[in-house]
Amino acid sequence: MKLRLDPRTKLFLLLLSNMTLFFHVNLITEVILVSILLSLFFFSGRYKSGIRMTLIYGFMVSAEFLIIPYTEGVFLNFIAMFSVGIRMMLPCVISGAYAFSTTTVGEMVCGLRKIKVPECIIVPSVTIIRFFPTIAEDYRQIKNAMAFRGIASGKLALLRNPAQSLEYILMPLLMNSNNVAQDLSVAAMTKGISMPGIHTSMTELRMTAADGCCMLAGVMPFALYFGGVL
Amino acid sequence: MNKTNKLTVPDLISIGVFTALYFVLVTIATFASVAIFPGFNNVVLPAFCALISGCVYTLLVVKLQKFGGISVMGIVMGLFFMISGHFIISFAANIVMGIVADCVAKVGKYKSKKWIILSYVLFSYGLFGPVIPMWFMKDAYVANLVARGKDAVYIAELFANINMVTFVLAVVATLICALVGGWFGMKMIKKHFVKAGIV
Repeated sequence: MKLRLDPRTKLFLLLLSNMTLFFHVNLITEVILVSILLSLFFFSGRYKSGIRMTLIYGFMVSAEFLIIPYTEGVFLNFIAMFSVGIRMMLPCVISGAYAFSTTTVGEMVCGLRKIKVPECIIVPSVTIIRFFPTIAEDYRQIKNAMAFRGIASGKLALLRNPAQSLEYILMPLLMNSNNVAQDLSVAAMTKGISMPGIHTSMTELRMTAADGCCMLAGVMPFALYFGGVL
Repeated sequence: MNKTNKLTVPDLISIGVFTALYFVLVTIATFASVAIFPGFNNVVLPAFCALISGCVYTLLVVKLQKFGGISVMGIVMGLFFMISGHFIISFAANIVMGIVADCVAKVGKYKSKKWIILSYVLFSYGLFGPVIPMWFMKDAYVANLVARGKDAVYIAELFANINMVTFVLAVVATLICALVGGWFGMKMIKKHFVKAGIV
C-alpha cells in the first residue's frame, strides 16, 4: 500500500526543513533529515522524482568533499555557491516538491480549513493551482497567433525586442485572465462557495499512525542535534 | 463592480488569477537570471522580476480598487514561495511588503498613478525574501569553506566585499526596475484596458 500523508504533516515537514536553514545545523543532521524526506518519495510510489532528488543531493554533498578542497580562485566561488549555497536550500526544495506532487487540491483545501486558514487566503490559493494549466495553454495559443502574424518568429526574436514581446504576450494573457476570473467566479458562486455556514467536503482528513511516525522521524535529527549527540 | 469595501469571492478569485500570473513571471525571471547571469542571479532576480511584472500588479490594483487586495496577494505569494521550498523569511517579507504596499496605494485611493507605482516599488522588495538567505547564510558558507581547508582571510575578502556591494546594487537596481516596470504597466493598461472599457 502506498503511503498517503495528511497535508498538515507535509506542512510540518516543510517547516522542519526550513529549520535546518534557520539554525545552520551541521551536515550530518541535514543528511539524516534529507534521507527521511527522500524515503517518503519512495514510500509514496514516486520513484522517479525520488531518484532524481537523491542524485542531485548526493552530487552536491560529494562535491563539497571531492571538488572544493582541490579548487582555487574564482572557480571556487562558483562551486561553493553551488554546493553549499544551493545544497542548504535543498531540504526545503525536497519537502516542497514532495508536498506539491502528492497533495490533491481537495486535500489541500480541507487541510488549510482544518488549520483555520481564513477563506480569503484559501480561495486565491486554490485559484492559482487551477489556473496554472490555463496559463500554459494560453501561452501556446498566443505563440501560435504571433507566429501566424509573423511577429517574433525565430529563436531569439523575443529577446530582440523585449518591450514589444512583453506587451504582445502579456496583454492577451491579462485580457484572458480577466475573463477567466469572471467565469471562475460564476462557476464557484453557482457551487455555493460564498454560502455562509460550515461547508462539507468530499475529502475527509484524519491523522494516522503514519503521520505521527513521520513527524517523529522528522523531529528526531533536531533533537539529536540540540541534545549534542550529532 | 461591487460597491462594498470588503473583498468578495469574485475579488478573491481575481486576486488568485493575477497572483498565478505574477508567480509564473517570477519563475521565468528566476530561470532567465540564472541562465544569463550565473552566480549573480540572486542580485538581478528581484530587479528583473520587478521589470517584467508591472503590468500584472497595476492591472490588479486598478481593477480591484479595494483595500486588502495587495495584502492578500502578498500573503498568497509568500505561501507559494514557502510551499515551493523557499526559506521561511520569504513568507514574512512578502506579507509585510504586501501590507505596506497596500497602505501606500490606499493613500492615492487606488487611482493616483504616482502612488500605485510607489506601492509597486515597495511590493517588489517583497521579492527579496527568497534571496535574503544568500546574504544571510554568508557565515555558513565561510565556515564551510574554512572547514574544507581554505584560507580564512582570502575567503573573507572574497565574500564580504561582494556581498555588501551586491546588496546595495540589488536594492538600487530593484528600485529603478520597479519604477520602469510600474510605469510601463500603467501605460499598457491605459493603452489596452481603459480603452476597451474593462477597468
